[in-house]
Amino acid sequence: MARAAIEPTMKTFFFQGEKTLRGLAIFLFAIGSTLPFAYALLRLEFVTGWSAWQALSEFRNIYGAMDALRFTLLEAVASSLLTVLIGLPIAWCLSRYQWKRIRVLRALLAVPFVTPAIVAAMGFLSLIRQDGMLDTIGIDLRLETGIIGWFADVSGWQNPGHFLALIIAHAWFNLSLMIRFVEPTLSSLDPAWEEQLSMLPGGKSRFSRLKYLWIPVVGPAVLCAAALSFLFSFTSFALVKWLTPTSQTLESLMAGAGSSAGIEGYRLDSSELIYSVAILQFLILLMTLWITSLLQKRYSQRLSLLSEHGVRRHHGVPSGTARLIVGFGVVFTMLPFISVLQSSLQVRQISNGSIEHKWTLDGWRNAWDGDLSTMGVGEAMSNSIIYAICTLLIALPLGWILASTIFKLDTSGWVKTSKLLDLLCMLPLAVSALMVGLGVLLGGLRWYPEMFGWFLLPVYPHVLLTVPFVVRVMLPAYHSLDPVYSEQCRMLNLSPIQSWYHGTLMFLRGPAVVAGSLTLAFSLGEFGASWLLVRSGTWDTLSIVVDQLMSRPNFNPLIHPTAMAAATMLMLLTFFLFILAERFRAHDDRSGF
Amino acid sequence: MYSKTKAGFLFCLLVTFSLSGCLSEEVLDSIESTDPCGGDIQIRESDGTLKILTYDIAGFSDELIAQFVNETGVSVEFIRTDDAGGILDQMMLTKSSPLADLMIGLDNTYLPTAIQNCLLMENNVSDESFTQSSLEFYQGPLALPFDEGDVCLNYDEDALDAANMSVPTSLWNLTEPEWNGKMTFPSPMTSSPGRAFLAATVDYFGHSPGNESGDVDAWWNAIAQNGAIFTSGWTESYVTYYTGGYGEYMEGHIGGAYLTVSYCHSPGVEAYFAENYTHSTSLVLPRASFHQVEYTGIINGAAEVDAANQFIQFITSLEVNTNMPDYNSMYSIQKGTDLPETNGYRFHADQAIVSTAITQELIEQNMDGWLSSWQSAVQS
Repeated sequence: MARAAIEPTMKTFFFQGEKTLRGLAIFLFAIGSTLPFAYALLRLEFVTGWSAWQALSEFRNIYGAMDALRFTLLEAVASSLLTVLIGLPIAWCLSRYQWKRIRVLRALLAVPFVTPAIVAAMGFLSLIRQDGMLDTIGIDLRLETGIIGWFADVSGWQNPGHFLALIIAHAWFNLSLMIRFVEPTLSSLDPAWEEQLSMLPGGKSRFSRLKYLWIPVVGPAVLCAAALSFLFSFTSFALVKWLTPTSQTLESLMAGAGSSAGIEGYRLDSSELIYSVAILQFLILLMTLWITSLLQKRYSQRLSLLSEHGVRRHHGVPSGTARLIVGFGVVFTMLPFISVLQSSLQVRQISNGSIEHKWTLDGWRNAWDGDLSTMGVGEAMSNSIIYAICTLLIALPLGWILASTIFKLDTSGWVKTSKLLDLLCMLPLAVSALMVGLGVLLGGLRWYPEMFGWFLLPVYPHVLLTVPFVVRVMLPAYHSLDPVYSEQCRMLNLSPIQSWYHGTLMFLRGPAVVAGSLTLAFSLGEFGASWLLVRSGTWDTLSIVVDQLMSRPNFNPLIHPTAMAAATMLMLLTFFLFILAERFRAHDDRSGF
Repeated sequence: MYSKTKAGFLFCLLVTFSLSGCLSEEVLDSIESTDPCGGDIQIRESDGTLKILTYDIAGFSDELIAQFVNETGVSVEFIRTDDAGGILDQMMLTKSSPLADLMIGLDNTYLPTAIQNCLLMENNVSDESFTQSSLEFYQGPLALPFDEGDVCLNYDEDALDAANMSVPTSLWNLTEPEWNGKMTFPSPMTSSPGRAFLAATVDYFGHSPGNESGDVDAWWNAIAQNGAIFTSGWTESYVTYYTGGYGEYMEGHIGGAYLTVSYCHSPGVEAYFAENYTHSTSLVLPRASFHQVEYTGIINGAAEVDAANQFIQFITSLEVNTNMPDYNSMYSIQKGTDLPETNGYRFHADQAIVSTAITQELIEQNMDGWLSSWQSAVQS
């Protein structure tokens, strides 16, 4: 009797509690993600005396801005094209055959995406060094001799080597996007379509099959991956900083002026630059996200045509060409990692003007002890891990609640509101990490300066930048959740918590672990916002230690292997987390990340 | 349903922007003063730790800091920026509520701005044993030198020999066709050595004996027209483009530039780390160098003033400061010290011919104008 009286009250309470929790999550995220950016803009408006429109119209007159815009668009478009060029054949081959240990192959090809940008930059720097792996096979991207020199002469393009290194690094970074988007589409495509089309007059030639089958089926997924590659290449910072030191992207241009912006009566040029560039960048990125979301919609309508297992069995074992292409992909993804490790164990020695590389563990000793006045790797690693865990504790539940709210709104008929919330969750990706850092810095300093004595401050931008990824992983998981289980739980008269545990949580454990591991990995490797914020504190992370060491005059030959040892530590940490994530990833996971 | 969507979105925007509006009003109130020394400065709350704002000075090893902690019992924390400009930015940004007690690393092209904006407070450390050259630019209670060196042009001897080019005897030689595309300069807008060299050129073209046949802007314009490569920092010039430095052994090296801006003793540092080998040397022309002094000073609003004084005493003491050539690749400011002879460090370090024409007052009054003229000159 008493139980019957209590139950409706409990249910009402949980129902209201759930609504409050969802409302609170949306409110906190909306405020948290827009406030730093809005605050930074208002501050810049005050310092420069410009309106937003005026800032945009002054863009052409900002020193270096037009060059940076041209370079950013060029490298982002070139990087996206190269990603398609390298990634599509690999994704194609990977999706059509019965591969042994396909999960391992997928993991190896996907690991660059979660690799900290600073590690990727160090990897590619090591690859192009004198006597490095590329140099020994005759590809000299550094001094541009041999084939690269010939290309420079023929094309009349000065110093193409560094640009090529940058776009190859971006393609390496975004390779997994192509695989994650294209592979599920192709691996579930009914082979009968291809066979039937070949019999028809309109499908006799390769070109007509491409026109009538492959482009409509794979096109949206390819474009979607290309659009995201464009987005990530457009906001790339660490790779640009290290691989093309003489060219600026909009992001690196802002980074150079970030520390002196927003101060009244001081370096007005910096505030004007940041204000103008940030607005233009925001508009371009917002447009890219909008296009991506449109493409994603088309892409999702073409999925799940047949069971993947059946399709793979139909195509049989991989051909020699397919093995060669996928093998190339694996070697391509692993090379920079091997190169970083190798560089951490070698120190240059000059003898009568000729250079030799001596094998030594001195770099590792220095990195561990912090002998070169940077924070030791141990301490920096513990900082990185603390930030990553704190980020996880906030971003995972927040992103989870947001994803479930988007799903609930969608299934309850609030489709437009659901889409709007989805777009809001992607918003931090449209605002550069540097702008997030700058907003926190300017807002925090003026509003609550004591905040800068707070060790956990970098967690804030890390949360903002990782929540979109949690949402992107959890949302498809919710869509694939069978509502029957929850209904059965309710029919069994289980309490709301028990229903949620048995009907939802048990089925979302895998995606949650994937989202959690990705959050940890992204937080560990985050560079842009940390780069700006740590200048107000003593909270160096592993990424920052690597950058600090590399930024220093490297007269002392030990500095370089020390930086590489720190990068290797970061790389190993990320590997560990990624392998953990892959272990829990569902076989048919199509989250895109 | 659509109107509900719009209403929800507008609500979020309104809440966000109205909150940011509240914050901005607070901001406006606190920074309305146009007096550079105006406005309240909040004393940093003491937490028993000396917080030091500096750039990545390689010499402050754990061992050195442990020695200070053992001797004084004061714990130390570092806040690191990229360079001297970053230190000034940080001090300006946190002027009303400082985050650190002590700054180490502002040079004499930035110090006048810090003094003008009342960012420093008096210290009580004596400079009696300091060299005359380190005290010429500024000798007062607000800052003390901790190292010094001369910024000047460096060139690649081997490259000049191979190209059959002659060593310049005037800065105007660099505007000749044989130097087209073969020199690189860090931008004075973003680089501290770049700023120092800009000051040197102001001295060179503005005073006799230098080169009286032109003005500084005309020279920078001619240099830009002659294919000079301008980079954002010293690293990009010295490591990426300069053929005479250690950059040739590093990743990301492009080369092509036989001349760049660095320190007159940079060839010595090269030799020190390469078993007495270098093909880089400095170009010593009268007034074409700038004597750079790096300072330490207590930040206005510091909490740990005693500890800050102790740290200044420590790093400027003969025992510690004499190691500056090792720690920071710069000269010590203590009288009677010199660069070590090891591996040709001293032998390859040239003595610059500098003047004292560029004073603190001159920089304080003119640096913004010089930078703006430089920007116009290289862009036109």
